[in-house]
Amino acid sequence: MWRFKHSQIYKSIFRHGYEDTKENRIRQIRSNIFLHVHPAKIPEHAMKIRFTWCMGGITFFLFLVETVTGILLMFYYRPVPEYAYLDIKYLEFDVPFGVVLRNLHRWAAHLMVITIMLHMLRVFLTGSYKPPREFNWVVGVTLLVLTFLLSFTGYLLPWDQLAYWAITVGTNMVRSMPVIGHEGPFAVVDKYHDVRFMLLGGTEIGGNALLRFYVLHIMALPSAALIFIGVHFWRIRKDGGISRPL
Amino acid sequence: MQKDNISRRSFLRLIGWGSFFAATGISVAGALRFLFPRVLFEKPSAFKISVPAEFKGGPDYQVFENWKAEHSVWLVRERNRIYAVHAKCTHLGCTPNWFPDEGIFKCPCHGSQFHKNGMNFAGPAPRPLDRLNIAIDDDGNIVIDKSRVYTFKEFDKQGAYVEV
Amino acid sequence: MNKQERKYVFPDLAFMEFLTAVALTIILIVWALLANAPLMEIASPARSENPSKAPWYFVGLQELLVYFDPWMAGVIIPMIIIICLAVIPYLDRNPHGSGGYSLSLRKFAVINFIFGFSMWAILIFIGYFFRGPNWQIYLPWESWEQVKDLEENLWSLNPVIGLIFIAAYFCLFMILPGMIKKDFHKRYGPIRYVIVMLALASMYFVPVKIFLRLAFGIKYVLVTPWFNV
Repeated sequence: MWRFKHSQIYKSIFRHGYEDTKENRIRQIRSNIFLHVHPAKIPEHAMKIRFTWCMGGITFFLFLVETVTGILLMFYYRPVPEYAYLDIKYLEFDVPFGVVLRNLHRWAAHLMVITIMLHMLRVFLTGSYKPPREFNWVVGVTLLVLTFLLSFTGYLLPWDQLAYWAITVGTNMVRSMPVIGHEGPFAVVDKYHDVRFMLLGGTEIGGNALLRFYVLHIMALPSAALIFIGVHFWRIRKDGGISRPL
Repeated sequence: MQKDNISRRSFLRLIGWGSFFAATGISVAGALRFLFPRVLFEKPSAFKISVPAEFKGGPDYQVFENWKAEHSVWLVRERNRIYAVHAKCTHLGCTPNWFPDEGIFKCPCHGSQFHKNGMNFAGPAPRPLDRLNIAIDDDGNIVIDKSRVYTFKEFDKQGAYVEV
Repeated sequence: MNKQERKYVFPDLAFMEFLTAVALTIILIVWALLANAPLMEIASPARSENPSKAPWYFVGLQELLVYFDPWMAGVIIPMIIIICLAVIPYLDRNPHGSGGYSLSLRKFAVINFIFGFSMWAILIFIGYFFRGPNWQIYLPWESWEQVKDLEENLWSLNPVIGLIFIAAYFCLFMILPGMIKKDFHKRYGPIRYVIVMLALASMYFVPVKIFLRLAFGIKYVLVTPWFNV
């Protein structure tokens, strides 16, 4: 072990050992791209669970869980009405650990909605949106909306009764949107050109809708979320670190 | 001279930014248009059912459920007319259920209820159930065309019912 | 910024995060092993589930559908919520209470926020646990087999009275805070003050409308040719 840790290969990857000096502890953070999200030192109160509730971090971790389990599920899932439901059944009853992965993906998604709401509550209660952190709060609200949209688009994919009718109700609300929904007040479009059609790729929930929700769920929305998460974390540092009593 | 120079520069700046934003705008418009395909592969909107004579007799109001599973349509016969009621709640598009004993349609999603003729009397539905175009073709069969929808005010229009 | 004790992130925080992630993974895996994600029969356009519930985090909005038209409950209210959430930092001019829990310094903000947050939670709770077939009230221990028939007799206010009611309601929100606390509006300035009060009036209109419906059977407070509220 000692020889391994002093080999050229190991030292080229992890330059710093665990030597407990002030300088080394700072280096450990600064030389690692993942740990470098943090500053080298933070105020003592910011480490207290009773201040942060750890909810932002947990939400991010759940986003990572969703990414990993989601990518694995994609190996078996085909977003076509003929296959979608059968693929879920296949995952549940035949693919080794398929049912566990699907459960993980679903439960982590539910948990993520809870934790992101609690994170917002915590940030509000600690007044952490106050200057100079106003913009980061807006980024956070955007991430909240993206989380809801990700959950919503994912809900259709199993193509079962639960999914189908939940999405029917959800997208029919869009039908009556003012101006750009064809049944809404002041409508300017017909049912083939309104915002619901754009979402579903048709007038009813069918193959096009499944494909569109799938593409939004696995590509468009996660990419957007990733960008906003990056901005969110970066702005925490640039706005002077975690909020503290003035 | 100096003044000329500046105005040329600002002119070019205008052209430059103008074409940049125009190109961006057109690209966005194109991407939006891309989301609306010209051809849809959805089920044909019209379908044929048997001759009207088959619906003669029986009580004054009768609701036929035979075409609900496949086409989301109830055929309702009043004393002397038949019409096609769209099995789609006017609230949020759930499929209501027919309760023959009570003689009402109930929507499972948010509790809207409708009388036999589709008139709403309870729950959040904003208007009675829509009716669909119904006609008799050359062979005397009833043909229902789902692409033409008649809302509440058009129930007495030609095409919204056939006489029997 | 006052001088505060600062701690090294490594290993103190880094390992706290690591342990949290490990604990969460264990919780998730146990959860996933014990409970299966729901899956019903294959989608069938001809047969609605009874009841058809939205995913739980949207059940609050679905519950609002009982009291509002779909475009209000499904589009306008969520949009107002999102926009109002986003502009909170630009409306709240209270310089106190940044970076700590301090109810006493910002009663107004905290109370209203908690009210909205609780409303979201309570509506979800009602919609998820207390709604059965045909979206009627079923207590959690009541059987869904039992048929409940509810003949509702709803009526709407006369458009003129409705308009007066709405106008009076919003005016009340403009005037009342100033009556209670004389210098209240000074902190905000006129534009912010109006926006804040409009937002709050809209938020409190939801429970008001629910009350009017349940107590007096009022379907719409304001009826217009284009939309109903």
